[in-house]
Amino acid sequence: MTPLLEARSVGLSVSGSVILEDVSLSVGRGEFVAVIGPNGAGKSSLLKCLGGLVRPTSGEVLLEGRPLGRLSGRDIARKIAWIPQTGTDMLPFAVRDFVALSRYAWRQPFGGESRSDREIVDEALHLTEMSGLAERRMFSLSGGERQRALLAAALAQTSEMLFLDEPATSLDYRSQAEAAALVDRVNRERGISVVMVTHDVNPALRSADRVFALKGGILAHSGEARLFADTSLLRELFGTEFLALDGEGARAPYIAPRSMVG
Amino acid sequence: MRRLVMPSIIVLSLVCLATAPFIGMQSLSLADIADEGSGGRILRELRIPRALLGWTTGATLSLCGMVFQALFRNSLASPDMLGVSTGAAFGAVVSIRYGLSFTLFGLLSSLSACSFLGAMAAVATICAAWRLRGGGISEGTLLLSGVAVSFLFSSLNMILQYGGGYVDTFRMMRWSMGGIQTVGFSSLGAAVPAMLLILFMAAAFSRELDLMVCGEEIAMSRGVQVERVRWLLFLAVSLSVGMNVAVCGPIGFVGLVAPHICRSLVGADHARLCVASLFFGGGFLVLCDTAARTLWAPAEIPVGVLTSCIGSAFFLWLLIARGRRNDRWR
Repeated sequence: MTPLLEARSVGLSVSGSVILEDVSLSVGRGEFVAVIGPNGAGKSSLLKCLGGLVRPTSGEVLLEGRPLGRLSGRDIARKIAWIPQTGTDMLPFAVRDFVALSRYAWRQPFGGESRSDREIVDEALHLTEMSGLAERRMFSLSGGERQRALLAAALAQTSEMLFLDEPATSLDYRSQAEAAALVDRVNRERGISVVMVTHDVNPALRSADRVFALKGGILAHSGEARLFADTSLLRELFGTEFLALDGEGARAPYIAPRSMVG
Repeated sequence: MRRLVMPSIIVLSLVCLATAPFIGMQSLSLADIADEGSGGRILRELRIPRALLGWTTGATLSLCGMVFQALFRNSLASPDMLGVSTGAAFGAVVSIRYGLSFTLFGLLSSLSACSFLGAMAAVATICAAWRLRGGGISEGTLLLSGVAVSFLFSSLNMILQYGGGYVDTFRMMRWSMGGIQTVGFSSLGAAVPAMLLILFMAAAFSRELDLMVCGEEIAMSRGVQVERVRWLLFLAVSLSVGMNVAVCGPIGFVGLVAPHICRSLVGADHARLCVASLFFGGGFLVLCDTAARTLWAPAEIPVGVLTSCIGSAFFLWLLIARGRRNDRWR
């Protein structure tokens, strides 16, 4: 059976410098995949290649067996929804309007918002507990609320995959936990595949089925998530010492850099 | 309250358009329209065409400004700020200076065509700068490259004007101040298509514009073909600005001021913003032109000079106010 998304020896170089080299991976239906690695490893670039935002300079990406290069932006957007890292803090739109913009790929040219569009948007707002904030402007939201709005927008795209780029950056503990729980729920209950890019191994250990580790643009390790609780592997990957802390009833150990724990 | 904003803009704009012809040195009334004497002729051949041309021009510039502001994600970007109007003016001056005369596709006069090419040259320069920085050009750099492009084309303009004969030079100079003096309805033949073109494009791409305000990454991930849309809209703006500048000369700051005020009145949704910008821009320029005709009567100042006066004050205020709040789109 063809995987939902497959990268075949993807390489990317930008003005002479190599960003990605010979990266192959696949994402199955309903699977939760994490891409981890230190800053500058090429994680975000890989995500952009996988999502068709950047065309790889070598290799190819297949979406349901069809090369991304031959699909239109709309075709891709109907399959892949994207939660970006930054850049949404100044948006002038009301939350509801922003979420409704995600219906773009499903709309007819000149077509307005259909009844099903409206229902989908309302449901996405409801699921992310943003209904009460629907009329607020994006720029007036707190970090946690904005993350939920972005998630609502992604859900309103009704695609089969969710791409997350560093979802926890600059969120406080509670917002982080809430956002992560929502993503887990969407993945479990709706069978939406998730590809998450993160420099923090913990969310990957907690939620992902499989992990791909990038270092210097090359796929250094890949395998089941639990394999990445290995501190010597992480030391090699991130170049610093780690401790694995076992908590009571935890699904996976919590990984902390040794220097941070003291 | 919010519900009344859009109808108010439309009504006020139409009121401006309807009353402007009756205001002026010689005051006229509705009864004069049918008059066979000089009053009726002034109204029919000067005042009414002029109000219509002013409205069309204001609407065109305002819509072009709205599109630019969304494409560059910057509320200070407008065709005149980025040197596009100056580029168009240069094209037109070339055509006046060298007495070019031809017609493209039976629609574009040589003046329009040259203005369009000039506008395209300016857009291409700005885009090259924008692309060379990977789309991540800062606001400062964007505006400064606009200033550079403006200077480049106005110095080229001056070279041409300097070398011209007495009559040509006066014509070019007077024309590059920007004004909407017109006799009869013939000039509307180029101005109205320019307005319809940009109105159609802005309305057709209103969703895309909304998404492009959210940033290239979001726009692409929602399915917008960003490159294609951007080029189509750049072309449309250049063509509209070019066709309009060919008729009226460069009229500054309408494209900056009108969409900005509209955004604060009706919000950032481009479907609504299109309508608001169209009517606000139209009414605004008719108002300015009426002021330009009457303030120093019997002398008449070119409306371009007046809008530049108002606009530059507005621009400074914007810069200062935004600097304090540190935002770009509110």
